[in-house]
Amino acid sequence: MRIRPIARADVDGLLALAQQAGVGFTSLPNNREFLAGKIEASARAFEERTPVNNRLYFFVLEDEDNGELAGCCAIEGQVGNEVPFYNYRLGTLAHSSVQLDLHRTIDTLFLSSDHTGDAEVCSLFLRPEYRGEANRHLRNGALLSKARWLFIAQFRDRFPEKVLAEMRGVFDENNKSPFWESLGKHFFPMDFSEADRLTGLGQKSFIGELMPRFPIYTTFMAEEARACIGQVHRHTRPALEMLKKEGLRWEGYIDIFDGGPTVEAYIDDVRAVRNSRLYQVEIAADAPEESISRWLAASTQLSSFTAAWVGRAPVHDTIVLNSTEAERLGVTTGDTLRLLET
Amino acid sequence: MLVIRPVTMADIDALVTLAEHATPRLTNLPANRERLEERIARSLVAFNGDIEFPGNEHYTFVLVDEARGDEVLGTATIRAQAGAQEAYYTYRQETLIHASQQLNVRREVQTLALSHEVSDATLLCAYSLNPRYKGTSAESLLRRARLMFIAQYPERFSRILAVAFPGYLDNRNESPFWESVGHHFFARSFHDINHIAGVRSKSFIAEVMPQFPLYLPLLTPQARAAIGREHPAHEEALQEMLAEGFVRSRHVDIFDAGPIVKAERERLATFNRAAWHPVRLRPQESLPDAEPALIANQALGNFRCIVARYALSATGQLMLSDADAKRLGVEEGRAVLAAPLALPSAVDAFDEGEI
Repeated sequence: MRIRPIARADVDGLLALAQQAGVGFTSLPNNREFLAGKIEASARAFEERTPVNNRLYFFVLEDEDNGELAGCCAIEGQVGNEVPFYNYRLGTLAHSSVQLDLHRTIDTLFLSSDHTGDAEVCSLFLRPEYRGEANRHLRNGALLSKARWLFIAQFRDRFPEKVLAEMRGVFDENNKSPFWESLGKHFFPMDFSEADRLTGLGQKSFIGELMPRFPIYTTFMAEEARACIGQVHRHTRPALEMLKKEGLRWEGYIDIFDGGPTVEAYIDDVRAVRNSRLYQVEIAADAPEESISRWLAASTQLSSFTAAWVGRAPVHDTIVLNSTEAERLGVTTGDTLRLLET
Repeated sequence: MLVIRPVTMADIDALVTLAEHATPRLTNLPANRERLEERIARSLVAFNGDIEFPGNEHYTFVLVDEARGDEVLGTATIRAQAGAQEAYYTYRQETLIHASQQLNVRREVQTLALSHEVSDATLLCAYSLNPRYKGTSAESLLRRARLMFIAQYPERFSRILAVAFPGYLDNRNESPFWESVGHHFFARSFHDINHIAGVRSKSFIAEVMPQFPLYLPLLTPQARAAIGREHPAHEEALQEMLAEGFVRSRHVDIFDAGPIVKAERERLATFNRAAWHPVRLRPQESLPDAEPALIANQALGNFRCIVARYALSATGQLMLSDADAKRLGVEEGRAVLAAPLALPSAVDAFDEGEI
């Protein structure tokens, strides 16, 4: 299994992933034309043909055994430049009066575009066949998630100061978002999935046009909707845990549709960015497998970026690879690799 | 033998009783002796002061029945400026249009925004009448004597007059609007907060209210239905004020969303139709039959207003019985202000913002 940039030829493979991901996966809509556009944008970014404020790096997880796409992930270089990036910021207002013996704090949701210009890690999807107990040792999800940090660390100057990730919010047993039902529904003449679909297609201007401009006092929302604020879908918990371990934190920003948390960090503070470093490659055809999926390696070329698990720890400044690993990562003796112990 | 006169300190017990029996209890008429004494003192200053423009004055009137030993039956107040010292807070109903070309949709979203716009208006308030007199001309006399007073001393009042009506309470005597709005912020019952507002001040509570506009779609349907809806006990009063020429404004009360009606003075029927007439005394039994009218003297601190027949002589003199002249404190030849008691039929108009 290895991570590589998406190629123009991957459009059908990506469409298959999108179909499997389904509704609620905003950034991966089931729309071939849209996905082809995304791939093109990514290809141009890897070819260094796009300006700094318009760089989408889209990666796929490839199963070398059959050439199929097992999953995908992406990094948006800067959000909010072409289409506005909206969040609600959860704020607190104190209502206080000594004479009334009153001191209450009221939660409010402020529409914000505070994250404009930040990088975003997004679009992570792993096909079910590659998850689960049988595949746990492969750590495919971790590979998809963490390879991005190695990319960012390696090409640090291509990214801004901060990075964020939007996490899917809570849906009930009927697959309805209580947050949407109590808030968005009043302002958008459409159901959640339609609003979400339009957002996924990048047609976000309607959000600004239809959203309430004044802060919302959450006390006017239904109890079950308020309970969703900053909470993730149960399927998203492992992904959130992984990001938290890297140092991303919830600072009170939520998705305007489902109330899911937006977690964020200064890129230089992200554990994987801080701790990864470069090693010299040495090929040893018979290098033993010491560890499974503990050391993550990534090549250092932009356009041919590759990331995969390697079977052993580096020694001093050197990482020894067997020939399969070297081939997978597209490196040979004397090249450099960026490594991260996970 | 009903007559309106300025309140005096001797009326304090009656005022407390009227405040206690107001339906519903009124913020601006707290059943609190100390506050009411202040109110009276303030009124005495206003009636007897040399005032050239509206400020922080309260003019409080009482309705007394001379036939019942001057029993005080009702009270009503004019605040020269609704928010003279403090701001007068209201919720202003506003409409925002959210439109998306991309989606080809246009939505109107209603909001309530805190406003101080009514602060400059002269406010007619603190009305309470002994329930025995409900349905009689005492109601109109008590309500509209204030207009007869304002008509005589325009420099003391604003060009815009406003009346705030108590808002709708449900059959549990609770305010659905308060339960959906204020209660979230204060965790106190409507009656509690109303009492505190009366004894202290309403603006001091308003300052702790949510400062951002409220989106109506997020309120309960019961709360939305209560916006601009008067308390059932005040339906007739509202109708009379609409007949006067007041129009419903975009403003509602911040606690119970009761309606606030407004008018420019010159739009009001009582002002338009009021006329000065010299008095001519006639024996009661020889007064000609005529429509009833509000009749007021022009003695600021000794202001009196009664309901009597609008009987004019051929030369435009108002014919009054000795008893009525005595009640008004006027002699033959003095001028009195008269306006027909009957009003044109009510037009339930909504002010679109020009007032």
